[in-house]
Amino acid sequence: MGIKRRKFLQLTGLTAAGTMLSSCGKGTEKLIPFLIPPDDGSIPGVANYFASACRQCPAGCGILVRVAEGRAKKIEGNPLHPVNKGKICARGQAALQDLYHPDRVRQPMKRVGAKGSGEFTPISWDEGLSLLLEQLNDLKKQGHADRLLFMTPRLQGTLSELVWSFMSVYGSPHHLAYEMLNTESYEQANVAVCGRGDVPDYDLEKTQYLLSFGADFLETYLSPVRYGNAFGKMRQSRPTIRGAFTYVGARMSMTAASADRWLPVNVGQEGVLALGMARLILEQGLYSREMVKNVEGNPEVWMKKLSDYDLHSVAERTGLAPEEITSIARDFATIQPSLALVGDSVVFQSNGQDAVQAIQFLNLLVGNVGQPGGLLFCSPPVGQGSTSSFANLLSKVDALERDEFHLALVYRTNPVHGLPSAIRFQEAFKRVPFVVSFSSIMDDTAMHADLILPDHTDLESWGDVVPWVGAHSQVTGILQPVVNPLYDTRSFGDVLLAAARGLDGEGEKVLPYKNYLDMLKQRVQRLIDGSSDTASEKNWVEILQRGGLFEQEEAVLDVPQKKGVSPVPVREPYFEGNKEAYPFHLALFASPVIYDGRNAHLPWLQEMPDPMTTAVWGAWVEINPKTAESLGIKHGDLVMVESTQGSVQVPAVIFPAIRPDTVAIPMGQGHHGMGRYADKVGVNPLGLLAPVMDKEHVLPAWGATRVRLTRISDKGDLTVMGHPEGSYRGELLEI
Amino acid sequence: MSMKDTDKKERAVKYKWGMVIDLDRCTGCGACVVACHAENNVPFVGKELSGYGRAMHWIRIERYWEGEYPHVRARFIPVLCQQCNNAPCEPVCPVYASYHNAEGLNAQVYNRCVGTRYCANNCPYSVRVFNFFEPSFPEPLDQQLSPDVTVRTKGVMEKCTFCIQRIRRAKETARLDGRAVRDGEIQPACAQTCPPDAIIFGNLADPKSRVFRFSKSPRRFRLIEDLGTDPSVIYLKGGGHEHVR
Repeated sequence: MGIKRRKFLQLTGLTAAGTMLSSCGKGTEKLIPFLIPPDDGSIPGVANYFASACRQCPAGCGILVRVAEGRAKKIEGNPLHPVNKGKICARGQAALQDLYHPDRVRQPMKRVGAKGSGEFTPISWDEGLSLLLEQLNDLKKQGHADRLLFMTPRLQGTLSELVWSFMSVYGSPHHLAYEMLNTESYEQANVAVCGRGDVPDYDLEKTQYLLSFGADFLETYLSPVRYGNAFGKMRQSRPTIRGAFTYVGARMSMTAASADRWLPVNVGQEGVLALGMARLILEQGLYSREMVKNVEGNPEVWMKKLSDYDLHSVAERTGLAPEEITSIARDFATIQPSLALVGDSVVFQSNGQDAVQAIQFLNLLVGNVGQPGGLLFCSPPVGQGSTSSFANLLSKVDALERDEFHLALVYRTNPVHGLPSAIRFQEAFKRVPFVVSFSSIMDDTAMHADLILPDHTDLESWGDVVPWVGAHSQVTGILQPVVNPLYDTRSFGDVLLAAARGLDGEGEKVLPYKNYLDMLKQRVQRLIDGSSDTASEKNWVEILQRGGLFEQEEAVLDVPQKKGVSPVPVREPYFEGNKEAYPFHLALFASPVIYDGRNAHLPWLQEMPDPMTTAVWGAWVEINPKTAESLGIKHGDLVMVESTQGSVQVPAVIFPAIRPDTVAIPMGQGHHGMGRYADKVGVNPLGLLAPVMDKEHVLPAWGATRVRLTRISDKGDLTVMGHPEGSYRGELLEI
Repeated sequence: MSMKDTDKKERAVKYKWGMVIDLDRCTGCGACVVACHAENNVPFVGKELSGYGRAMHWIRIERYWEGEYPHVRARFIPVLCQQCNNAPCEPVCPVYASYHNAEGLNAQVYNRCVGTRYCANNCPYSVRVFNFFEPSFPEPLDQQLSPDVTVRTKGVMEKCTFCIQRIRRAKETARLDGRAVRDGEIQPACAQTCPPDAIIFGNLADPKSRVFRFSKSPRRFRLIEDLGTDPSVIYLKGGGHEHVR
């Protein structure tokens, strides 16, 4: 034998080391990098935690990312962050799969096939940027700068500033920050009732009686982790008090499942219930005298205004028993502090604005506004960009139809999937000659693009996040790259700054930043002391370690200043489709798992059972057992759901907790594109929605569509994790 | 203090890991489900295999319906390995892959497992999951895999470990500091992430621990207790009309 034992061990040692190294990817082929520790100070086998912020939904929680050997391993909540307090939801944790998604756009791409075919060819960043600049400069040279449309979600902080400055330098007023689950309606109502245009925070933790009108605050509404945490405290953290919770709505959502009492009210009559309760509270003199004085109200005048809302007619309109209404009205007024929330299923009705105002009036009446355990209006968050109005969206669609836009930039929003086709956006959008997408995954909108300049994913980016609600103090979460970019992608901020520099004109003067990080640091310094210097390195590192700027002192609570408030009658809701041909209300709801569809490409979430139905990998329609029986529909059957607008085929789930005259479908599935885990999984129900709106306030009514059901076959291709019959054997577990 | 002394001191401390799940706090949101996937390299299997009941969740949220419309209620109950003290899964394993460790955990030795699936068959809580196929993590999803936990191969049974890698880490730290593990120092991934703080983990052998105190709550019950499995997971009953006011 030529090999001695010593030689053999040396060889195997080297081979083993070589194998380990070769599995580490780029840049570590040689032995040297392991003998000399890497620059970032990481030690093999020891994990580091980096603080950052979550952008999976607008809540803006703080996160800690566990990084080992240069790779992100796990996302945990940041305990220092005042919004989520160390907790994080399923969607936030799944952002890891956003980073490591196998179907990410790995370099800039140029369309080669027909529009919408999804055929692209990789190009270099130089070519990509010059294509973008060519388009921008051409348009500007022709004097048509206003033919640029910029579509984003509601932006925050530095990004909001950047896009605003870019658009003003370029000379186009057409920045559309609109997504389907828009908060415009709440803001309008709050102005009318409380005199404040921002979304208030709800102090669930301290409340004793919680009444939710369709607000799914534990799953998708505003800030689910914050409210989930507060809900736990409301229930069990006080020695002698267990906060009570009643839910009003046509469908039992995951949030409603946690309620002590579920009241399946007639669709669109939530506002009537609120006014009926208000009248009972006035009649019995249970209102807050102090609040009446504050707003200079007159209970006698209010009583007269509510003359149509006597118990009998309210019971008839809402479909609830009179005893139920009196008991919740009494509880709401006498168990203090109490709190009424209002959510999307109420807001998106043709009388949604009236209902929100009625419910906020109810809060006002018993003194819930501005008191602990109630609605809190704090100093408005600095850096929260504004959302576009529905009217603005409609005018943009009209302009698209008149071919007024020659160039569209789309960042972090997926309107081709996420807007109801009834407003004709999708067809109109196809007319734009040149579309640039900054998406990091080939989503439905990117499929229609001509140029894709892929952004980093959140875990590779710099950025700042201003939480939507829930911070009683000024909070800005800072996003930092926790791993090196995996692919040849570039930060959207840097690309836009480069574009501004390349513009013929004043781009450089208005946006004089070296890069996006520089701009971010300057903004942070402004937040700290109002100066325009870049944050000093020491400060900056400390902020990064904490995960952002969290001003800890309790903010002053504002008591409503608006005088002369009075209840506004609730109009009868309008529904599209007549009752005979289309007998069922269609309730679309944001999926607790994939929200409005932005998280549909993440396999952990696709395989996480929907809480109420335990369904995975798809969409379904929820039908009351009696209704299903009368139509001959069984669990898992394929059903056609038709409205005046269109139809979808979707499996049926027999759902015991939905009104017999209502059916519900989750939003978010049915993508065309968005990677292997979302593409053609389930159906997108937005095509069913009729273009009903509240004409007076120009607000959409996505809950105002009626549908009919037809059984097609028994092959619905429904996958549920729970056994349909086992679901009814709770007594086995003694719960 | 020499290493020998600290070792002795550490051995003197008794650990019996247990968990309390407050169903009145649990909202059924599923954050624990994803946390467990991320922490323990639990694979996803896709729609078809999920349909065959081969999804690999180590923790799941059971949903029970009670009553009929309109007086219907839904109940959520997170179910994970109950770490039974008289575990039905243990005596049936022909190769001792499923065994009981000194700290009350039902441990699973992956490289002993030959895939008879007797243990899963014998588990009244259906919390054991089997790798029917080689798990797949298409590149670069594999870069997320935690180095602290093995990736199980085809033919191996796996289950909740109470995040034993976290328990080990905390015990090592404690031993280096020459002390016992502090109450609350260990949090399994599910408890750490739980938004409403429904899950409490700790040492049931320590009467001062939070988990011990909550385990004596009048709301306590254990899953299918009459089977005599003596689980280490204690549930606290959720609320109902009877609790209001």
